Amino acid sequence: VTDVIEGRADTAEVVVPSVDVEPGTQAVGWRHRHLLDVDGLSNADLDLVMRTADAMREVLARPIAKVPALRGRNVTILFYEASTRTRVSFEVAAKNLSADVVNIAASTSSVAKGESLVDTVRTVEALGAQMLVMRHSVSGAPYLAAEVFGGSVLNGGDGWHAHPTQALLDLYTMRSRLGSVEGRKIVILGDVLHSRVARSNIWTLTAAGADLWLCGPATLLRGFEAWAGKGAAAGRRFHVTSSIEDALRDADVVMALRIQRERMASGLLPSLREYAARYGLTAARLATAKPGALVMHPGPMNEGVEIAPDVAAGAQSVITDQVTNGVAIRMALLYLLAGVSPT
Amino acid sequence: VTDLDLSRVWLVDPAAGREGPGELVVRDGILEAVTWLEGADASGIDDTGVVVAPGFIDLHAHLREPGNEDAETIATGLAAAAHGGFTTVCVMPNTTPTLDEPGVLAAIRGAVAASGSAVELLAHGAVTVGRAGETLAALGELADAGVVGFSDDGAPIRSAAILRNALAYAAPLGLPIVDHPEDATQTDGAEANEGLVATILGLRGWPAAAEETAVARDLAILGEVCRDVPGVRLHLTHLSTAGSIDQVRRAKAAGLPVTCDVTPHHLALTDAWIAGARRFAWEAGADGDRWHDDAIDTRPYDSSLRVNPPLRDRADAMACLAAVADETVDAIATDHAPHASVRKDVEFDQAAFGISGLETAVPLVLGGVRAGWAPLESVIAALTTGPARILGIPMPQGDRVVIDTEAEWVVTPESLFSLGKNTPLMGRSLRGRVDVATVGRPDREGGGRVAEAISRR
Repeated sequence: VTDVIEGRADTAEVVVPSVDVEPGTQAVGWRHRHLLDVDGLSNADLDLVMRTADAMREVLARPIAKVPALRGRNVTILFYEASTRTRVSFEVAAKNLSADVVNIAASTSSVAKGESLVDTVRTVEALGAQMLVMRHSVSGAPYLAAEVFGGSVLNGGDGWHAHPTQALLDLYTMRSRLGSVEGRKIVILGDVLHSRVARSNIWTLTAAGADLWLCGPATLLRGFEAWAGKGAAAGRRFHVTSSIEDALRDADVVMALRIQRERMASGLLPSLREYAARYGLTAARLATAKPGALVMHPGPMNEGVEIAPDVAAGAQSVITDQVTNGVAIRMALLYLLAGVSPT
Repeated sequence: VTDLDLSRVWLVDPAAGREGPGELVVRDGILEAVTWLEGADASGIDDTGVVVAPGFIDLHAHLREPGNEDAETIATGLAAAAHGGFTTVCVMPNTTPTLDEPGVLAAIRGAVAASGSAVELLAHGAVTVGRAGETLAALGELADAGVVGFSDDGAPIRSAAILRNALAYAAPLGLPIVDHPEDATQTDGAEANEGLVATILGLRGWPAAAEETAVARDLAILGEVCRDVPGVRLHLTHLSTAGSIDQVRRAKAAGLPVTCDVTPHHLALTDAWIAGARRFAWEAGADGDRWHDDAIDTRPYDSSLRVNPPLRDRADAMACLAAVADETVDAIATDHAPHASVRKDVEFDQAAFGISGLETAVPLVLGGVRAGWAPLESVIAALTTGPARILGIPMPQGDRVVIDTEAEWVVTPESLFSLGKNTPLMGRSLRGRVDVATVGRPDREGGGRVAEAISRR
């Protein structure tokens, strides 16, 4: 029932789909019905997503950035957690593909009245949903949705677990700037423990052969040392350190993660001020990375805390690229999934 | 149930410290004779796969009545017990209302009588009023009414001072305090055993130390109280980590009056099941995970695996089974925790804690025996004489179970008598089945006791 089971085999060769034709009419080698996690994506899968996103970038550059690929398909966006950029990005992506888009914010639906996730998913399906984009604060919730939903589920972020489209747009952004991430030193800096972005990036970046480093206060790295020791999967090691000096030295990419105020209340950090002083990505710290190292952030940013405003807006920042690429990546994924989605 | 002629069975009698070939005869549903066989009559019997043992005693079950009859009733719970081979079941007091005063026990006994079940129901009373951890419940009145122990199970006794007083107060009543060891400051919002699986799945970690610090606290208090007050007894329920087991082993060696139990699911399952693996703790690859060992069988985040304490890793499960073998663990208790499907068909984090366990206990523990992790006799003792000793009850005469250790059966909603279908074993084929359970009855002449079959496949 899950893409993890169905999507094991590597695809022999990547065929870049022409996005001007109906999904599913070309053999492109994509076999995942759902996108719930990135742990089951092979290198060939990643490559296909990247190339399809290239095609979507080309669509976005057209005078009218719209193709009829998903015409007549219902894409329902069900968000149980507040989000602006991811939700809007999915909406724009679906509309660029001519899909019919239904937006449901959990606070304004019957969810607030205590309807279960299973009932909600069945209801949106009965209302015509064929592809379901879902965000939820509980890790694993999209797996439950995928079990009852007849179409395809795209995980738009679940708890601390996964944010597949973010990791894929991050990889896409890095590849478009660096060519390849293989052997590149990439640092994810900050609140790794609570971060679905970090977890998903561990899978994609180690699969792509990057030299991945996770850095932050030890309280926000809990459990990751053991994972790093074993590797994301067999032979896919990464590094974990609380030394920001070691992490940033000669880095090719530095991705800062959002620090939330709740972390102080739970005793994980003394104060935002202390965090900014010890782990904030400042110009001085960035100078210890490779010249021209990329600065990334999944947003939303706390400028002056995990990232200095001049760094966020500086010449090395590709943060707005991430946003633009996010639309292309989400178009690519909607397109690829639509090719295998039972409709 | 009519006639049953089991002329060649393997008898296990932990009370007598004996096991060996035997013969038993059931006529008109009454167990008429149990005979040890010797010499030529006995040859080859050990491999027939049929084991006859005393009826099992579960010292920790939730039958939900009164208050949550959509999850289980006394009648369905007792039927499930008989089906699983348990002829005595001791219920926990987390009912609604709480079993913190004798009236609730009377209501439960009324339900037992109305059920017509011959399974013996015992009860733990609450330690504190409403299990709120603040003031002692009416321990004396509850003892007079017949409770066999005191527990705030599910709500660990947070206050060390209350625990200390409860231990002392219960001692002259001759009853144990049954603590659920958990330091709640370490488990706020916790979802799964802290370790690789929880880290990768993004589930909030539930450290082994949350249990082990509570065990350490309880043992330190016990050590002091038992010097002043004779008869103090502490029972630690559903231990799940190697560190907890080690502490109990050392405390027993030091002579402390402590006992403990483990559940079948903590012996047989691991946290890797939450990642979608489906290997028993004693099977190859059970300590791995889907990402490294390709050990994925099904979707992750199955909420039927959400249980308190959480399923641990393979080393913990092995330590628990080894402790059954060396008798550091006194009892295997099911922590049968049935739930209505609405409480389980939800996100992992939102699901109620617990596994419906009465009817799958036997095949799970037999798996451990078959794998050579614990001898059959130790496991049977942990299901019979061990819990009887903790509960302070005599071994019930005439209560027996007949187990076909080789029979395979599939767990389906229909195959379970419990209303609680919440088991991660749903749909699986299990090996080992309770074929008959009997309970002791006065015989027709009134002079002795015979055993009447109460459950038969």
